[in-house]
Amino acid sequence: MIVPRPIGPRVVRAAILAAASVLLLAYVLAPVAWLLSSSLQTEREIVSIPPHWIPDHPTAQNFRAIFATGLGLAQPSPNGADPASGGFIPSVAGNLLPAMGNSFIVATAVVILNLLIGVPAAYAIAKIRFRGRGVALYAILATRVIPDIALVVPFFLVVRKLGLLDNLASLIITYLAITVPFSVFVLASFFEQMPDDLDRAARVDGCSRLQVLLRVFLPLARPALVAISLFAFLASWNEFLLALMFTQTAASQTLPIIVAGITSDFTVSFSFLNAAGVLAVLPPVALAVIFERYIVSGLTAGAVKG
Amino acid sequence: MRSSPTLSRRAALAAGAAALALPAVTRANATDPIGYATWSAAVDQVKAHVAGFEKKTGLSVAYSNSPFAQYRETMITKFTGGAPLDMLWVSDAWLPEFAQAGWLAPIDPYKQLTAYDAVTADFCVKSTIFEGKQYGLTYYTDYMGFLYNADILAKAGITTPPATWDEVISQAQTIKSKGLLDYPVVIGMAQESWMIEFMSAMVYSTGGRFVDDAGNAVMQDPKAGAAMALNWLVDAVQTHKVLSPGCVTTGELEVLKTASAGRAAFVLLPKYRLKVLNDPAQSQAAGHFKQALMPMGAGGSHSTVGWMRFYGATPRGLSGARAEGVVKLMEWFGGKADGDYVFQKTILKDLALSFGITELYKDAAVRADLGSYGDVDLMSKQQEVAHKKDTISPWFGEWNDTHGTAWQQAITGKLSAAAALKTSAEKWATLKKAG
Repeated sequence: MIVPRPIGPRVVRAAILAAASVLLLAYVLAPVAWLLSSSLQTEREIVSIPPHWIPDHPTAQNFRAIFATGLGLAQPSPNGADPASGGFIPSVAGNLLPAMGNSFIVATAVVILNLLIGVPAAYAIAKIRFRGRGVALYAILATRVIPDIALVVPFFLVVRKLGLLDNLASLIITYLAITVPFSVFVLASFFEQMPDDLDRAARVDGCSRLQVLLRVFLPLARPALVAISLFAFLASWNEFLLALMFTQTAASQTLPIIVAGITSDFTVSFSFLNAAGVLAVLPPVALAVIFERYIVSGLTAGAVKG
Repeated sequence: MRSSPTLSRRAALAAGAAALALPAVTRANATDPIGYATWSAAVDQVKAHVAGFEKKTGLSVAYSNSPFAQYRETMITKFTGGAPLDMLWVSDAWLPEFAQAGWLAPIDPYKQLTAYDAVTADFCVKSTIFEGKQYGLTYYTDYMGFLYNADILAKAGITTPPATWDEVISQAQTIKSKGLLDYPVVIGMAQESWMIEFMSAMVYSTGGRFVDDAGNAVMQDPKAGAAMALNWLVDAVQTHKVLSPGCVTTGELEVLKTASAGRAAFVLLPKYRLKVLNDPAQSQAAGHFKQALMPMGAGGSHSTVGWMRFYGATPRGLSGARAEGVVKLMEWFGGKADGDYVFQKTILKDLALSFGITELYKDAAVRADLGSYGDVDLMSKQQEVAHKKDTISPWFGEWNDTHGTAWQQAITGKLSAAAALKTSAEKWATLKKAG
């Protein structure tokens, strides 16, 4: 005889889970909600106590200023007073869109080069038997145990010698040094999980090594490719220290440097800063949402390898 | 054949390396512009003034900027890495470190620059001197001001702002007792770069010092040191409860924003913040904030702390043929440009930044600008009794970490004021001995 389980404990359990989920969501999303809300407030309203989670007088003046000045349609006034709204707009408003462009170029280039370098390297390490194969993998990974701060001066000397100061190429080159080892490690683990028989069968059918990689392994490795691409993109998009040292002008400065610079000025507009923050998080969030289903499976690839 | 692919790969690598090195070769042959670095402030004003310089002299300037919070570290990396820097903004606090390391060059041989000393506030000139040599011209200067919200005082029935620190307590208690504010006094004691300025203003106005003229710690001295200021802070938090215990996590920006929200009756803030506080676009308390002389302690005065940032030059900038252009650029910014103090007036008008050139207080346009949000004569009077920080030294940063923590512990009641000052003094003595 099947005894039905009592409904009471299940309801209580579900209620506790729901409440905990709501609390967790509120905890995680509250800063994001405030970022968005305050980006739509005037500087005068943002200092209200208690804070206005829903703006009394929502305004897009910060975003208007960013796009108008960034696209060359308007010039910010030197003292920050916005002639259109009477609000306060920092003079660096016009640098945000170009900086987003720089960040996007650097991050995209790093992703592409990561794939071009990381995929063949990982395939070779995972599927081609050669002397020192294991050592090669761990040697590549070992480069990541050096903290970035210790690399700043050596990197700076190299970049200066190459004449690449204040040049996006300096960021692309140095970010590759940071991201490629991780990409190779993740991809190599993923490829190792795939049966060697696949490799052999393709070779028997006349495929070259390159063809095996392109036609057999890459289509199967989509989750790992997405994961490393996202990692490389986000790492490049958010990187601060090296960009701080190697870039000098708005021509090459990336978004984190420009946003940090807003707080250096003599008058800091929190609402403008948060509008810049909204723009800064949009591309990574969009990518994470689009490729969400690949991220976990890609990053955990090889995690339970025996 | 196995050798061909190997050779071709090597050839490809070599070609890649050559392509990478090409820009270096090209740039090395180009005429170097004057490398001018600042932190990310007054960017538009600097750019416009640089453009004027280039037009006037025909010289080229490579202007760059980076965030202030990481500026010192960035400059050190650039000095170490041999970056092409000729002129830069320097904080008075970094002078001993930069000068000792040989990253800055003295400007004493250039009389067209040192001639401005005669018309510059004394503490500004002194702040550019290290071991008898002068290292630059003033970029901007300011002092810690005592600002009050006249509207809140009026609502509390107070007609005159406090002249002493005791009166600050009593007026704050009145405001608190009328339910106008929980914590009428707002002073930032968070561990940040402004902390020493807040402390120094209070210490000077109570007649104390951190360090004597010989560079020895006197902060622990109960009469001539910093005890009176620290005890006032401790009492304000612990006994009178007119200053929030949260002051140990309140930075200068939070003080400004709290005051802008109309949630403070008395604040210590850089004087230039007066303009923001009275700007309706940025402050809900616009029109209500006024400046008073720094309150006195028993046996003290209305003294406050002043600071300055200056234009310094690197040895590269003041060597050989480059020196002429760099000296011209330094004068263009720190002195007169086309016969007038153009840049000083620009940053005053646009950003409310004060100047070291004392005669500018007599300039009609300057007076009109300052007068739009404050009392010009009072501003000038307060600047006359501003003193440079006595703690500026090569070991300042390391000492300040220990010192700041000790003061915070005293304010929150974890340590007695005397013990906190003893800790600060011992750390100073140890670091001074180590050089």
